Amino acid sequence: MYEIVAFYLFSALIIGLFLVTVMSKNILYAMTSLAAGMVLISGLFFILGADFLGVVQLVVYVGAIMALYAFAMMFFDATRDIKEKNTNNTLVFLLGGLTAMVLVLMFAAPIYSENIQALYPMTEGVGNAQDVGMVLFTKYLIPFEVAALMLLVAMIAGIILAGKKMDDSLTEDLSADDEIMIAKDEK
Amino acid sequence: MEAVNILPEVTWVGVLIKAVLILAIISALAGFGTFIERKVLAFMQRRLGPMHVGPYGLLQIAADGIKLFTKEDIIPQNANKLIFMIAPIITAATAFIALSAVPVFPDFTIPEFVPVLGGVFVPSIAADLNVGILFVLGMMAAGLYGPLLAGMSQANKWGIIGAARTAVQFLSYEVVTGLSILAPIMLVGSLSFVDFNNYQQEGVMSWMIWQQPVAFVLFLIAGFAETNRTPFDLLEHEAEVVSGYATEYSGMRWGMFFIGEYANMITISIIAAIVFLGGYDAASTFGWLFIMLKIAFFFFLMLWVRAAWPHVRPDQLMWLCWKVLMPLALVNILITALVILV
Amino acid sequence: MSLEQFKNRNVGVQNYTNLELGKSPETGMEQFTQVVKRTFKGELFVGLGVVMKAMLKALFKGDMHTVKYPFEKLPISPRYRAIHDMLRLLESGNYRCIGCGLCEKICISNCITMDTRYDEDQRKEVSEYTINFGRCIFCGYCAEVCPELAIVHGARYENASEQRAGFSLFDDMLTPIDKLNLQQEYDGFGAVSPNADENIKQTPLAY
Repeated sequence: MYEIVAFYLFSALIIGLFLVTVMSKNILYAMTSLAAGMVLISGLFFILGADFLGVVQLVVYVGAIMALYAFAMMFFDATRDIKEKNTNNTLVFLLGGLTAMVLVLMFAAPIYSENIQALYPMTEGVGNAQDVGMVLFTKYLIPFEVAALMLLVAMIAGIILAGKKMDDSLTEDLSADDEIMIAKDEK
Repeated sequence: MEAVNILPEVTWVGVLIKAVLILAIISALAGFGTFIERKVLAFMQRRLGPMHVGPYGLLQIAADGIKLFTKEDIIPQNANKLIFMIAPIITAATAFIALSAVPVFPDFTIPEFVPVLGGVFVPSIAADLNVGILFVLGMMAAGLYGPLLAGMSQANKWGIIGAARTAVQFLSYEVVTGLSILAPIMLVGSLSFVDFNNYQQEGVMSWMIWQQPVAFVLFLIAGFAETNRTPFDLLEHEAEVVSGYATEYSGMRWGMFFIGEYANMITISIIAAIVFLGGYDAASTFGWLFIMLKIAFFFFLMLWVRAAWPHVRPDQLMWLCWKVLMPLALVNILITALVILV
Repeated sequence: MSLEQFKNRNVGVQNYTNLELGKSPETGMEQFTQVVKRTFKGELFVGLGVVMKAMLKALFKGDMHTVKYPFEKLPISPRYRAIHDMLRLLESGNYRCIGCGLCEKICISNCITMDTRYDEDQRKEVSEYTINFGRCIFCGYCAEVCPELAIVHGARYENASEQRAGFSLFDDMLTPIDKLNLQQEYDGFGAVSPNADENIKQTPLAY
């Protein structure tokens, strides 16, 4: 009973918040509602008893990814509304709606036809993390490692892109340092 | 949160009572924490601290509270009003939600003679998740939205700088907190605070700090950074960025930031006491006294450090995180894993 | 230090102790060793120890530096120049002020106003005497010039007021007659020097 009430409450809130994200012209509103929606999605995981996934949702999406978005948003004036540049509103809605519909059909059709079941149901008495780990390191080992590799590649690429000027300090005046050194030598 | 069903004997009434208890007592403690902080800092600088309101200035909290509540709630002209208003609530709320997954006070059953609530069992953890540690860390990570949104919404340059620093500092040090606490988690093999507590029940020598001293130091340093305490309180460092994200705030909204900060301090103290210093001994009568002492020690340590050490520069902060603490944490995990494996 | 030395001293050549900071690291390895050395040297704990010692001393040895100001006050120097006092003669209780008007004359901020008259013994006495403390700069010339040591600087320094002009009358500053036994001989600004007796010479009437 609790679960049903909580589920519908959370679902309605998530949809509402994500609508705000899409519709709002204010960066701050969009960002805040997206983050809040992510928190509520973790609530859905908690309802399902998947505590570990819920917490991961919190840590990864809310704690890291959204914060990076926010960091990028800091380069704009967050208090001003943005002007959107779409010439044809009907077309935008039509295309967006169609894409959404196709996506929903793609995911819902197999669930509906095969009456989907949990292949790896939760084991009683074993923690959530153990369950996830068991599946991750047996059946999904290769995708897991490939994902890890991809992240590594992305990390190295990021470091190389950002690290070209890593030795130059933006705040210190290097020529001033040289002068100090010369003064020291003369002493 | 919704994990009530995991423990069968805990009713929703008990959880509700616990939640109210946590809210009431921790907010009071947060207020009291400001008093303790002012007193300890004063003593360490050979001053008396607040003395005039009540005996030894004890009622200073009440005076401050009245002041904060009755002060005008100023919202700057060009600020984004809605976000500006909810930002402090985010800080306070996430701090208290994080507290819902840590054992805060001993569990007890309300005696039968109490009219309506007689016989209700009040658990020591409001929501006994089996991923308690991760939940607390995740919720504290979500707490970065308070300062972040506050800084971005207030149309103030210092606020923006404070918000940028929030994002940088919290994101970086979350990594260190998570990695440093991973090694003890590997040893215990569980994410639940209860398992951590049970793991360290054979006397002082079984405490995690002796097995994982590096992790302890790393966690403590990262904890200071995540609670925005002194060597790392760059978010609102007066000498550099006026008041950072809190520049435009006044009155109760400003106060809520600080209730959140002190609640986070208490949370970090509790985690450090349970994970590294043996936790509570449920069997012994004085177990709860000891954990209170441990928590109090960590709280005192934060004030002590504030009196003794200077701030770091932002670049030193990043240097410390990415070039020192994170490699150390990784090496620590690697060595722990090797030891477990062999 | 002799006068010669005192006059010839140059800032920078005294026995200052130079802090030996060593040379700053240049290579990466040197930086690394410096960081490691500083990490394990325990310098941070020295800082913690210092403040803890300060706290214990303050709490248990009474080394607390707070002065609870309105309730306790630090003693001030006798040369402190605060609100003026008007003194009386200790034996008779008469005013010391002889109405000579020197203080009014010398006052550089023109804050002293006085009026005199002859009393029944044909002696001069002050009838009106006010000091405008909104103008007074507490330079102390009045106390210095007073031949009778009648106007002196007292120790009342709490002279905040709600308005700029704050006048003080002669009677406000005068030692109350019932507190005459408490009046202290003034040894501050403009008082006679301790060897004043030796400096007195005979008036050369013989010339």
